Amino acid sequence: MITAGIDMGAKNIKVVLLEDGKRILAKSQLPVGTDTKAATERAFAEALGKAGLKMDDVRHITSTGTGRTTAPYAKDNVTEVSAGAKGAVFLHPGTRTVIDVGAEEGKCLRCDAAGKVIDFAVNEKCAAGAGSFMEAMARALEVPLEELGPLALKSTKTIPMNAQCAVFAESEVVTLVHQKTAKEDIARAVNDAIADRITSMVRKVGFDPDVVLIGGVARNKAFVEAIKRNLQIQVMVPEDPEYVGALGAALAAAELEGVR
Amino acid sequence: MAERKGKYPTEPLKCWEKAKKIREDYYRNYATAHERGGLRWAGGAWSFDAIPAGLGEDVYPLTSEPYGASCAYNKPFSLRCLEATEKAGYARDLCAYMRNYWGSILLNEYVFGGPFPKPDFLWQDHICCSHAKWYQVVSELEGGIPHFCIDVAVGPETEINENKIEYIVGQMHDGIEFLERVTGRKYRDDLLIKAVKNHFRSTSTWAKVCELNKNIPAPLDEKTMYSLYVLGTLHKSSQVVADFYEELYKEVKDRVERGIAAIPNERCRVMSDTQPPWGFLGVFRYLEKFGCVSIGSLYTFGLIGAWEVDENGEWVHRKTPMERGVTINDRDSALRALAEWELHKPEWQHFYSPQLKSEMMIRIARQWKLNGVMLHYNRGCEGLSLGIAENRLALLKAGFPVMIFEGNMGDEREFDMTRTMSRIDAFMETLGMKKEFD
Amino acid sequence: MRELETFSSWVKDRHEYAKDWKKRTGGRVLGYFCTYVPEEILYAAGVLPVRVLGSHEPQNVTEPHIFGMFCPFCRDCLAQGLKGRYSYLDGLMIAQSCLHIRQAYTSWVLHIPIGFSYYLCMPHKVQSKRSYKFLRGELETFKNAVEKWTGRKIEEAALREAIQVYNENRRLMRQLFDLRKREEPPISGEEAMTISLAEQMVDKKEHNAALKELLGKLPQRKRERPTGTRLMIVGSEDDDLAFLHMVENLNKDQYPATFVIDEHCTGTRYFWNEAPEDSDPLMAIARRYIERPPCPSKDWEERKRIPHILQLARDFKVQGAIVMQQKFCDPHELDTVAIRKALEKEGIKTLFLEFDVTVPAGQFRIRVEAFLETLKQEDLF
Repeated sequence: MITAGIDMGAKNIKVVLLEDGKRILAKSQLPVGTDTKAATERAFAEALGKAGLKMDDVRHITSTGTGRTTAPYAKDNVTEVSAGAKGAVFLHPGTRTVIDVGAEEGKCLRCDAAGKVIDFAVNEKCAAGAGSFMEAMARALEVPLEELGPLALKSTKTIPMNAQCAVFAESEVVTLVHQKTAKEDIARAVNDAIADRITSMVRKVGFDPDVVLIGGVARNKAFVEAIKRNLQIQVMVPEDPEYVGALGAALAAAELEGVR
Repeated sequence: MAERKGKYPTEPLKCWEKAKKIREDYYRNYATAHERGGLRWAGGAWSFDAIPAGLGEDVYPLTSEPYGASCAYNKPFSLRCLEATEKAGYARDLCAYMRNYWGSILLNEYVFGGPFPKPDFLWQDHICCSHAKWYQVVSELEGGIPHFCIDVAVGPETEINENKIEYIVGQMHDGIEFLERVTGRKYRDDLLIKAVKNHFRSTSTWAKVCELNKNIPAPLDEKTMYSLYVLGTLHKSSQVVADFYEELYKEVKDRVERGIAAIPNERCRVMSDTQPPWGFLGVFRYLEKFGCVSIGSLYTFGLIGAWEVDENGEWVHRKTPMERGVTINDRDSALRALAEWELHKPEWQHFYSPQLKSEMMIRIARQWKLNGVMLHYNRGCEGLSLGIAENRLALLKAGFPVMIFEGNMGDEREFDMTRTMSRIDAFMETLGMKKEFD
Repeated sequence: MRELETFSSWVKDRHEYAKDWKKRTGGRVLGYFCTYVPEEILYAAGVLPVRVLGSHEPQNVTEPHIFGMFCPFCRDCLAQGLKGRYSYLDGLMIAQSCLHIRQAYTSWVLHIPIGFSYYLCMPHKVQSKRSYKFLRGELETFKNAVEKWTGRKIEEAALREAIQVYNENRRLMRQLFDLRKREEPPISGEEAMTISLAEQMVDKKEHNAALKELLGKLPQRKRERPTGTRLMIVGSEDDDLAFLHMVENLNKDQYPATFVIDEHCTGTRYFWNEAPEDSDPLMAIARRYIERPPCPSKDWEERKRIPHILQLARDFKVQGAIVMQQKFCDPHELDTVAIRKALEKEGIKTLFLEFDVTVPAGQFRIRVEAFLETLKQEDLF
């Protein structure tokens, strides 16, 4: 039986196709853009194409993410919190804490072996501590977003930076640039500042091993290193961290169909 | 709207209209007091309103927190108030009630229509940093109004002693001298005694009403309670309010006996904490879609209600001094009884340690049979958000799931309805609740 | 200047000093929040009171304990405790003032083991005649608690001696600060702040000795920098030496400036007034704390802080005032508008800044330079 999960994120739409609640058949993602319906349809078609399937082959579609209630095709939806827990536990059964950092939100949850959420926290209003903040900082540094991590890894210097507010942080970056601070040191300061914000949230929920880091920002190795440093603990990052939410939704769909 | 399937009968409150009328009369009487030769004063919801009552039967208060909430409920008006306050140089993170109230003065607009009715004197008490300072600024904005404020921050109820009571009672005596001086009126102790007794009656009876929510199904939901507890915040020492609460108690007791519920599909019980975001009470209606009822909160129970722990460890309404056989027959005995009574106020305890509040919250969670707790991290009120993060930790430790949401009781710009609802979705999922209708 | 280095090393190595003091004297060390703590009673009991301050480093440990809308200072202080930097403390206490710092204290007591903790109900209505008797009663209760903790009685003679030591410190600090009234103050704002921070962390007797030594040399000192614009800094808790350093070390030809006076609880509000002579030492202490320049949280119904600030501005010939506060500090936000109005009315321009755990140096520098430029324009006419 085929089920699907659609994760309507703030920036990207992710689709996962799943067989019998066990095997991932295909993944696809596209930017949300302004026409979410069209973007979702395209992303879905792409996933079906990869798996060589037709729409009719999919028994149950569940959505998650910020825009989950507006997802086309979806029969029902689950929150990102539940989806993140389900997806992470599926990929790594030992998962007890999930840190999810996407474009607009950071989340942290603790769950049990069955992927049931025990407690969770979501970062509050300010986007400092999420992907969009990194993008803004990368712009200020004039480096592509994907280079922010590798650049930061070259630095061994700690520069305290206050990331309470994205606007202020950006002006701190500008000041550092004027002071001729090395780019890699600034990149590290940015990553450290965001990691500090996320760590604060993680401490709020508390964390038990194993800790799994998901969401697009988990691709940034310098950020992952900073989280490890802060928590003094090993942190695992799955292969495609941004798809874990969509995978969780597909798993929820399978559960509703009585598979697993 | 889909059909709500419920197992419990519901019906509207019979005394609802009466509560509404008391509130309307209150705001109108204040505004028109001068036309009848009466006096107007302004102060906080916690100020000892029984004391100015001794100036005569034509003395009308305006308590500022409920006034600020009324502004917040009117979003466009509130926004103009907040912006006027910011323009005058006051910070955005200050108490939102205060900013709404100051904005009213700056705009010279009363939220209920007409120009803002200037009080003759200011009568306040102080436990939160903003209390006395609030009126210091009011006095400045109004070109100087006499202001008297009583410091009540003398420690938790477990540490009351003669020295502390004397400090408060002494200030009360000084306050009466102040009232006589600024109004030119002769103070009447008989009116004070009457008002003090009403104060005990209304605060004790409100707690009695809240106790009835221990029942399953709950006869009242928190959104309804907001409209009822507010009368105590307006004028706890008035005969009208004390009598109304006794009538309300009879009606709610009858609801319990007949099995009438606040929501027909009650399957999950939570409480909140701190003032709600007044412009967004829809949050509470949203809970009902999951069969979830908020049965109240320490805030709704204890802001005005008077409580004590009985011999079985149950949290119950506090017996009035009259019921305890305390003699109240002159100025000093009335003031002393009033000071002692208020020092037990639940919402005054956490000012000394979050643990005192956590203990009360856990007691409520157990005795009102809750499945979880929703904490409003309220950016609009530093007094009631004090220690709230520690309350969260303590509730979790006691085994109660907690959801937090950030917002502001009086500044709509700081509340995000969509994100809050999605947080509720996640919380309800963790409690195993499903949405029953949209 | 060697005499000044003593103070800066005390501030820099505050924890080492306290640990060493314990070793040297065998006494106990108590950390305190808020300058309304009646230190004389502790001193008389042989206890060293040290003020708990933050470290100005971004941190990620206080989120579970204090809601983010409270001031960065209270979170920074709690972080020091959670990180174990004050592990040598035998006791911890607070005197009731603002709600923000109270949370640093209450969370600390809940989560960090400490032998003795005390919440002192310092009255808020210091303008009420009733506050004297009330505070005296609270001090009596506190004294008994300290006696029980240390296991020895605090004799009246010891209390009197403590009052003397503290009064001497206050007197010496006033003498030192009076030198800043000169046309060319022999000491910078940064140096003065260092000295007043140090007195909140070290044994007053030692501080007094160091002050006397300094006062012997300082009147003859010539600073290398021109005094330039005479600035005042007014506001909340402020131990941000980095900011003062930045302002006083701008380009000296273009933006010479010196802080000649402050109105902070980490500065003048801490030491400004002495305990009066009183046959009853506890009443003398009560009077001292009730009558000191008030924290905004206690400055009501009348505003007494403002006339005091204006007097300071006149006495120290202030040309511009930086009004600063910790971000989210409600009591100061409730005073700022009135203070700025009063200063501007007096002809003193103001610059308002909000401080966080770290100072955004670049941003603040631009604002301060622009502010100094506007003050300079005044001089042309």
